[in-house]
Amino acid sequence: MHALTFPAAGEGSGWGSAPPILPHPLELIFGLVTFAIFYWLFKKFIWPRLETVFDERAAAIEGGISRAEEAQAQAQAALHEYQAQLTQARAEASRIREDAKAQGAQIIAEMKQQAGVEAARLTETAQKQIEAERQQALVSLRGDVGRISTDLASRIVGESLHDETRQRGIVDRFLAELESGDIVREKVGAVEGEDA
Amino acid sequence: MSIVAAVVPTDFTPPGTEDFWIPLIGEGAWAFTRASLLAVISVGLLWWWLHATTKKRALVPSKGQMTTEAVYTFVRNDIGRDLIGSKEFMRFVPFLFSLFVFILINNLFGVVPPFQNSTMGRIGFPAALTIIVFVMYHWLGIKKHGFMGYWKSLVPSGLPKPMVPMIFFLELITDLFTRPVTLALRLFGNMFAGHIMMLLFIGGGWYMLTNGGIVLPIAGGVTWIMAVVMTVFELVVEVLQAYVFTLLAALYIGGALADEH
Amino acid sequence: MTGNIAILGYGLSAIGPGIGVGLIFAAFINGVARQPEARGMLQPIAFLGFAIAEALAIFGLALAFVFRS
Repeated sequence: MHALTFPAAGEGSGWGSAPPILPHPLELIFGLVTFAIFYWLFKKFIWPRLETVFDERAAAIEGGISRAEEAQAQAQAALHEYQAQLTQARAEASRIREDAKAQGAQIIAEMKQQAGVEAARLTETAQKQIEAERQQALVSLRGDVGRISTDLASRIVGESLHDETRQRGIVDRFLAELESGDIVREKVGAVEGEDA
Repeated sequence: MSIVAAVVPTDFTPPGTEDFWIPLIGEGAWAFTRASLLAVISVGLLWWWLHATTKKRALVPSKGQMTTEAVYTFVRNDIGRDLIGSKEFMRFVPFLFSLFVFILINNLFGVVPPFQNSTMGRIGFPAALTIIVFVMYHWLGIKKHGFMGYWKSLVPSGLPKPMVPMIFFLELITDLFTRPVTLALRLFGNMFAGHIMMLLFIGGGWYMLTNGGIVLPIAGGVTWIMAVVMTVFELVVEVLQAYVFTLLAALYIGGALADEH
Repeated sequence: MTGNIAILGYGLSAIGPGIGVGLIFAAFINGVARQPEARGMLQPIAFLGFAIAEALAIFGLALAFVFRS
């Protein structure tokens, strides 16, 4: 058993059989120096390149993302606008429909009114016509009745009552009495009955 | 042993520590060794690789640049940012990346044909890197918490009073002794043992192929197949050890910078 | 039979860490299998535990070389 001792200088193969966990001085120095040189080279020359590439790429990606976001915002805005328009159009359509309904109702009401007016007018005209016809019939009837009754009376009386003045006076008086209701059927009937 | 000894010639010398001592120029403590040469070559190769692949700085990377960036991103995000924290990791990224690729390429020298000898199989190199990490995390911790505050921060707060000295002692041993020693020896041990295993399988296989009658060369062939398997295994171990070393370095730095230890 | 009893010591010292490292990575794999998103958080802890557990085996290896005859 031998302790951890460095081989004596000048001992040719001493380092070969030395415990392998003893660092060889020059190798230790070489380790420090080579690593230091490499670290310096890397930090000075390579690292900035790598990081700039990373930053540029990140910027490019971020730019892409921001562009995409912008496009998305635009699309969103367009969608909002479209929806607003759609809502507006819908409201308008419903408003138009309401208007149409109201107008329809109004038209119906107007038509109804017109029809009512027309009907009233027609009825009135008809009534007037009837009245006129009645009047006419009355007039003609009055004439006829006068004539017939004078004929009858003349026949009965046997006396020509065709004398204008008398006839007219009698008839008119008769008719007036008839209209005023002074003539009583009984009286005529009584006369007729008496006559019969 | 006597039965084996009867069959196997006993002049086979197993690989040992002597196989790692390859002085190129000079002798003794100040000899320029093969491992030192490999370390210098590794810096040259790394410089050539990194310079060639990042020269163009393309936004859309080529294959080489993509590889470099993949390694860099891995060290930067998966080791640096995750372990040191997104606030302060940026200034340690060059150190961690240098550490990772330096260890990785020197480890890989262990299986790559013209080199065939892992630099990290010599304790001097892992020890050098460990010294840097050791000094760095203690210095950072002292700078952050103050000299006394740093040692106080080793003990987690809210501990019962009688426990404090014991925990402090344990933490002190961990910080000053266990961490650096294991950090260096883990890397060294894995590379050293892996190389010995490969030497054993290849050398033993060669010995068996060239000596003995009929049975022994067959066993030698099997041994060489095993040597190929061991080489692949070594490759995995080499990458893993580079990762573990860098990870632990980042972990120690992150721990020194953390508010609570 | 010749050899170095320190190597035996290394063999003994590797048993505990071997089991420990196995347990740590078993727990790590379990955790990741249950919650794959927790991987990033578990990995440093797993490797820290691995480093601490492995320290003993490394001491064994170092001492095997220190006390070799």
